[in-house]
Parts: sequence; C-alpha cells; structure tokens
Amino acid sequence: MFSSLYPFYMVFRVKMFLNIRNGLSVATNSSKVIRQLCTKAAAFENVTNNKQSNESSKNNVVDYRHIYPEFLPDPKPEFRNVLREKLERSDMIARRTQIQIPEFYVGSILAVTSSDKHTPGKNNRFVGICIDREGCGLRATFILRNVIEQQGVEVKFELYDPTLHKIEVLRLEKRLDDKLFYLRDALPQYSTFDPNMEPELLPGGSTVPVNNLKVKLKPKPWLERWERQNLQGVEDLGLPEKFYIRAKELEKPWEKYDLMKDYMKTIPEEEQTEIFSEVQSHLHKLEVTRKQMKRKRVFVKPSKLA
Amino acid sequence: MNQADVSKLVSQLKFRVNPRLRKFRNSGGPEERLNWLRKTVTALIKHERIELNYPRADEARMYAERLISDAIRYGDCHKTTMDVADYWIVEKQLIHKLFKVLVPRYEHYNVAYTRLIKVPRVYPGDTLPKAVLELKGNPYPSLLPDTSTNRGIIHNVLLDEAKKAYRQQKYAEIAAKIDAAEEKFSDLKISGKDEKNVSSL
Amino acid sequence: MSIIISTIQKCCVKSLEEKLLALSLTSTTQIREKHKLNPPPRLRNPTWFTKQNRVVKEEFLTHENKEFLREIVQDKVVESESKLPVVSPKEWNDKLQRTGVIARKVGIYPMWLKDGTRIQTTLLQVLDNHVIRYYTPEEYDPPRKQVGGIKNKKGCLLLGAESADPSEFTKEYCGLFRESGVIPKRVLSRFFVSPDAVLPLGTQVNVLHFQVGNVVDVRGKTVDRGFQGVMKRHGFKGMPASHGVTKTHRKGGCIGGGGEKGRVWPGTKMPGHMGNRHRIQKGLKILRINTKYNIMWVSGQAIAGETNSIVTIYDTKLPLRKPTNPVPFPTYIGEIDSTIPEDIYDEQVHMFNDPTISYDEK
Repeated sequence: MFSSLYPFYMVFRVKMFLNIRNGLSVATNSSKVIRQLCTKAAAFENVTNNKQSNESSKNNVVDYRHIYPEFLPDPKPEFRNVLREKLERSDMIARRTQIQIPEFYVGSILAVTSSDKHTPGKNNRFVGICIDREGCGLRATFILRNVIEQQGVEVKFELYDPTLHKIEVLRLEKRLDDKLFYLRDALPQYSTFDPNMEPELLPGGSTVPVNNLKVKLKPKPWLERWERQNLQGVEDLGLPEKFYIRAKELEKPWEKYDLMKDYMKTIPEEEQTEIFSEVQSHLHKLEVTRKQMKRKRVFVKPSKLA
Repeated sequence: MNQADVSKLVSQLKFRVNPRLRKFRNSGGPEERLNWLRKTVTALIKHERIELNYPRADEARMYAERLISDAIRYGDCHKTTMDVADYWIVEKQLIHKLFKVLVPRYEHYNVAYTRLIKVPRVYPGDTLPKAVLELKGNPYPSLLPDTSTNRGIIHNVLLDEAKKAYRQQKYAEIAAKIDAAEEKFSDLKISGKDEKNVSSL
Repeated sequence: MSIIISTIQKCCVKSLEEKLLALSLTSTTQIREKHKLNPPPRLRNPTWFTKQNRVVKEEFLTHENKEFLREIVQDKVVESESKLPVVSPKEWNDKLQRTGVIARKVGIYPMWLKDGTRIQTTLLQVLDNHVIRYYTPEEYDPPRKQVGGIKNKKGCLLLGAESADPSEFTKEYCGLFRESGVIPKRVLSRFFVSPDAVLPLGTQVNVLHFQVGNVVDVRGKTVDRGFQGVMKRHGFKGMPASHGVTKTHRKGGCIGGGGEKGRVWPGTKMPGHMGNRHRIQKGLKILRINTKYNIMWVSGQAIAGETNSIVTIYDTKLPLRKPTNPVPFPTYIGEIDSTIPEDIYDEQVHMFNDPTISYDEK
C-alpha cells in the first residue's frame, strides 16, 4: 500500500528550525502526503489500541497505573488537594474526548501531529523514540528523539496540549531503562528512525514486549556520568577501573530498604483504586464511542480510506 | 519528582503519616540512620512494648507498620519482602515471628497495628519527651485509662437526660409536622372530590 | 464710664497674665510644621482580635454523648443557614467598592488559550463566606489616622469563613457571631466597602460575586522560609566557587563605603527573616468559574502562600483594569441552581472539550 506512494517520499523534504529550548517546527511542502499517511496509520493504530485496551480492562484496575500514569497525583503532601485533583482529572477526560491518547511507554516509537503556528494551515508530524515521560495531571509531558539530517532533534510535547492533532504509536515496546537520556551520548544509529515508518501491529492478546537492545555509547566526553547510573540498556562502557571504583563508592545500596521513602514516592493502592475506578467508566465510554465512530467511517466512506 | 512512582505498589498505612522524615543527628549519614532505626524495630517486634524517646518512636513506628503491611500483602514467599524483612529484623529468629505470629494477628485489622502513647514527663528528670510504642494485641495490661466508669460521671448523667428531652422534643415536632401535612392532604382530597362531583354534575 | 472700662481692662489683663503664667509652666519650645505630619500608628488590635482557640481538656464524655453534642451543632448549622437575610439589588457605578471574599488557594495547573498559548492558572476555592459584622464609616476607628481625614470614608465589613464546632473556640470569640446568628467560623477578614455596598448580617457571598473576564487582586501570606542568606533572600550572585576564594561563597560582600559616609545605609539588603508577610498580587484575570465547587481559575502562579492556604480576593484597585460593565451589586443574589452552567469560561480560554486547535491560513 505504501509502495505506491514511494515517489512522494522523495519529494518529502524536511526543513528544520531547531529551537534552543526544545521546540521544533517543520515546514513541509507536501503536507497532503503526510495527512494521507496519518489517516492510514491511524486506521492501523486504532485497531491495535482497541485490542490492547479491551485486554487491559479485564485486568485489575490498579494495572491502569502503567497505562495512565498521569492520572495519579503528585505524592508530595504539600501540593495535594482532593478537589483540585478531581477537577484536573475531569479536564483531562474532557480533552481525551477530542484526541485519542494511546498506551505508550518510554522506548516506544511515536508519531505526533501538531498544528504549526508559524505555517498556518499546515500540520507538523514528528516521529521519534520516547526517551522520557514525566509530570502528572494536565502538565504531563513526553520527549521524542530522532536524528534528522545528521542532527539529533528532541521535542518535548505536552500530553494534553490542545494543538496536538494525533498521537500514533508506531512501535509499542519497552526498553530496559525508565529513562533513555543516554541515547544523546549513543551512536546516532540508535536514535535514527524513518519518519515514514509504518505502524507495527502486535498480535492480539500479547503483552507489551521489552526490547533487550544494548546501546553502544560514543567515547567520552558525555553529558552525564553514565557509569554511576546502573543502566541496563547500555553496552560495556570500557572505562578505566577508577571510574567504576568511584561509582561503587557513591552507590546507595540501603535506599531499597528505606520503606518510608518508597511509601512517600507512591500513591497507596487504596487511593489508586479510588482514582482509577472513577476514571475507568469515562475512559470506557470514550472507547465505545470511538469504536462506533470508526465503524461509521469504515462503512460510509470506504473510498477515502482505500 | 512531580509524578508518582508506579513500579511499586503499597498498601495505605492506617494512621496519619508525617509529611517528611526526620534526619536525626548521626555521623554515619542516611545509612546509619536506618541501622539505628532497625534496632528499634527489632526491639518492638521482640518485646511488643518499648519505652524510648518520642522522635525515635514516631519514626520507628512508620517503618514497623510498613514492614508488617508488606508482610501481610506479599507473604513469606515473596523474595523482595523477605529481603526487606531480613534487613529490618536484626535478630533473625524474629523473622518467623513476623510471618507466623504478627501477620495472622493483623490480617483483618482496619486500624493501625501499633500504638504510640506519650509518656508524662517526670520532674525533676530527663526533659526529653518520651513515648511508649507497642504492638496492638500484646499480652501486657493496657496502658489506656479505663473508661467503663465514665458513664457515672455527673456531666455524662446530665447529658444523657438532656439527650432524652431533646429527642422527645424533636420527635414531637416531627409528629406535628406529619399531622399538619396529613390534614392538608385530606382537605385537598375532600375538596378535590367535591370538585369532581361538581364537574360530573 | 471710663473708670468702668479701665477696671474691665485691668481684669482682662490680669486674667491674661495668669493664663500666660500657666502656659509658661506647661508649654515647651515650638516645633515647626509638626501639625502637618501624620501621627504614628497606634499599636492596637481591631475589636475582633480576641483569643480564638480554647484549651481542650479531656472531659471523659461517653461516645454517645459526644455524638449527641455533634448532633446539636449540626442542627444549629442547619437552623442558621435556613434564615436567609433579604438583599436588595442596587444600581452599580464604577465609584462604588464592593466587598471581597475569603478563599483557599487550591493549586496550580495549566490552561490553554484559543490561540494555543499555554498559561498557568491558580485555582481559588471561595469558602462559605458569611457577613459577621458591619462598622459604619463613623464607627470604624482605623489604627492609622491621616491628617485632614479621608474624604470618602468607607465602612468596614467583617466576613467569616469555614464553619467549625463552637466548642473549639473561646466564649468571647463565639460572642462575635451572636449578632449575625452565624455558626462560628475559623477565619475572619475585613473588607472596606462603600456604604451603599453594605450587606445585611448573615448574608452568604459565593463565587458568582465575581464575573469571568474581570480582574481581581489577591492577598495572601507568603511561604515562611525562616532566616535566610542573601542569595536566597535577595537573589544575590554570591562569590565564585574556586579561584582562591575562601569561606565566602554565599556571602553578600561589601555593605557600605568608607570616607565621609562611612556607615551602613538604612535599607541595605542583608540576611534575615524571609517570607511570612502579607503580599498582594494585583491585576489577575478570572478565566473560568466552577459554580458547583465554588472555584475560580485566576491567571498567574505567583499568588502568595502554599497550597491550601487562605487568601482574600477583591475587585482590583488598578485604575485602568476596573470593571466597565455592571457587576452583581452589592453581591450575587439568589441560589446557585441548575439554570446556571457548571463551568463558565472566559471567551479567550480554550475549553478542554473543544476541538483541537488548528491555525487557519489567511
């Protein structure tokens, strides 16, 4: 299906303006092609996501915490307020009626379509690997990374930003680490992804696969002292012995026994069930309406999709 | 931080947890702090009632409660829980007590497993605030005052009588309201019937 | 005739002399222009500053009796709320000053405008405000007097928020609420109002006192940070970390010159206590109002105080941002019922269930 569009890809040229902070705006001269791709990708992606969400609804409500971590509030007691959290959740659900925010993890490959302020009438699509996901409530964010024209590019998107048109999961998988910032110091091949990548389907009923890929880092200098961070997804760093000795000195092996520190970092199970059972019905309703909409789309206008 | 950690799942503690942990003055840093606290936790599990300085008791209470709640949640076949129990209980024979005595005792508790009571200060003597930390359901006699004779205290007797009078008055008012409403209703019915009769005529 | 006049004059002169003598004993040297200065503030508290909390002692009440006491308090609350004073609407003009409200800072979260810009908003929950007392302009005696007096004197309206069990307060504190018939409140705050904007005692003020799109000032107490150094307190740069610098990494450095003015000037920025002061954020726009939970979203994230602290909100004093369209005067009258929408948004703000923003080509 995509091969017929191949000549168009050659036309597809991306100009980038890398902002100092984290913004990126891409001006395309073939936005139509992108849009077509988006609709196709969305068709695939909807199928996969529906399957997964059905499966997850059977699971325990508490397992939602992996899929929707941003619904859990900040556990710091000085910032908590039950009423604010409730209103924030209702606003998040209101936004979710307009955009399907799929299940994704750090290490998944996403494509985000957002409207571009600097070229009105056009949408900007960015493909990249999710290297970080943080923040709770309406300020939840994720960072996508890709290498475009030998230049590493990272964009920080806000999950509930109303200028995002579509979030597609092209490859749903996890990596061995919770944060992939070390890709900045890795060889560029590990964070290069084809912007025209096809979404990969997972067989129904399967769990999210973990990619055991070990990344090779560039030689020093690095942005951070990676040898001190107990990274799983990195090949042997090949440093002199003194670095490992120092890393060993700075380890905090007692922290995993500090039960109260753990407790203060998390939301207890009782509260989580309360939150997710409140949210669950709304999310389920959204899922049902989305399915109905899709069926209508498929049967009424088949010519546009084909 | 700004986001809850989702990798671990914990049960809610059944008492008011302090907003932040105490650092305590010790030369060994955070590691030494835990070493210091686990002696207290071990002693609590061993003796079931201990008297000590208040800040240390308050801090050790949270760790003891977390240890018991994890033991109840995951049982003795869970490797991480066993590791943690092994760390926190210095005298290893007490690990058996945790899983075989305390877990069955507290399995169906809906309240905190421990009790922290402030000890009155003795004068002249140590000025530091002291506390008694105990596991609930211990075999010792209770430290809490006996409340069984409170009913006979004069203001309780008076309040009992006041309660009776207040309730009587309340019920009388409610009954009067119901009567008034019924009367209205019956009046309406009668008038309605009359109207019907008139219309039928 | 002349004799009479002379005797009178003599008498007058005599009395005048006596007076002068008396004056010379009491009067001191003349101080120039003293009468033009404002007198120093008299340090005394307003009349409603009484001891608030009672020392609670163990009274050995049985469980049932405690429940009974709680039931009586609940009945009193219901009784006090059933009596609603009548407020008549009046015509508003921009010279009039309305009352403010007591609110709680609930948190901060982002919202987006229709053009896609992200803004930070603070959520303020308007509490159960009731009018406790009113001091007419003549009655109200401010601690700080001004020479020549104030032209348009305002009345003073005392508002209370957060109903509580009266048994936790002292008798004299509960006495403040006797006139209005309101259950004692935890928080009291006074607002100056025009005599026309007076509300009868016991009136409730809710979030609809304010309107979306208008501008308010918010007064709160800043976070208490204790004794702080110069870098945190005044944002000084400190000294270099290395290059031979010893023992002065976070110090302020020089505090004064030598020579003729060889002293530390008043107002020099130095270490000291930081925070725990009342500060006012002015010119905050109301972007959204939730009538169900009495919450309003206000632009900005720099309102003084921690989350869950008490703030007061009132119409802005900034002359160019005062409301031009009529506002509910003296306050919003009537209950919040199903006819009023739950969420009222400003026209600038993107509602969360609006479709995704896309920029049209011109």
